[in-house]
Amino acid sequence: MVLSTVLERPETSVMDALELSVMTTDAIDLRDLFEEQAMPYIDQLYAAAMRMTRNPSDAQDLVQETFVKSFAAFKQFEQGTNLKAWLYRILTNTFINTYRKKQREPYQGTIDDLEDWQLGGAESTTAMASRSAEAEAIDHLPDSAVKDALQSIPEDFRLAVYFADVEGFSYQEIAEIMKTPIGTVMSRLHRGRRLLRDLLAGYALERGLGSAQPASGAVAATGRAQPGRTTSGSTK
Amino acid sequence: MTDCGCEKAKAELEEYLHNELCGEDTADIHEHLAHCTDCSSEHLVGRTLTEAVQRACREIAPEDLRDQVLLKLRTIQSTH
Repeated sequence: MVLSTVLERPETSVMDALELSVMTTDAIDLRDLFEEQAMPYIDQLYAAAMRMTRNPSDAQDLVQETFVKSFAAFKQFEQGTNLKAWLYRILTNTFINTYRKKQREPYQGTIDDLEDWQLGGAESTTAMASRSAEAEAIDHLPDSAVKDALQSIPEDFRLAVYFADVEGFSYQEIAEIMKTPIGTVMSRLHRGRRLLRDLLAGYALERGLGSAQPASGAVAATGRAQPGRTTSGSTK
Repeated sequence: MTDCGCEKAKAELEEYLHNELCGEDTADIHEHLAHCTDCSSEHLVGRTLTEAVQRACREIAPEDLRDQVLLKLRTIQSTH
């Protein structure tokens, strides 16, 4: 006990004395640590930025800005906590604060309040011969069709789907990234996936994938909801 | 174990897919899916959708971007 306190004292004072001279080394160490820990996420962050901005040039700017901001805040990052979620929070904030304003389409801030029928979709999956046919059709769609469908659903839904399905974030993590209650995350995810599924069913039917009879596929080929039209009505 | 039934299974399928359920609920749904073709085909569509989105969203950051980011980090540092 006595020995250790005797030893500790000079050690801390030596640290104090050295602090000034090692500052630059510390800074370089911090940068090395940041590069080592954060750079491996660049592909994923770029992929997310592509889904957010929808074009490579804005996506690159967004990623660059995200790295600059995260590096500036890296001292505050608590080692051992989730760096990936932390980076995504900064990415999402940066996107919302700067890039969303530049997007051509006006942001539909009240999307969560819209009813399902106002968003379209909904009925086209009923035109699929069976669920296994639907799964097979989705599986065979080209990536471009899936990307198109993703790009066309409301932004908040798209991001929730992206964070959960591609990045594997938990609902709690998504709630923190999107700064929204967990119930809203679940609703956005559910509705986003529903819209996506309907759009993909529409694409698949257009391409002649997964329909029961080729003739009946043409009816739902637009992939849009037709109010009043139900399958039970048509079988009469 | 008693079957949790289609209603509960369908309501919780998405959380099941995203590993958001507690152990007990997960086991219930798992059990139900093993015996119900309707729910298991619904689950298959859900899984396929997730996989399709994962596949479509893969990107590799351009080499330029990587270089620019590294350069930027070094420039920031030298000005501090």
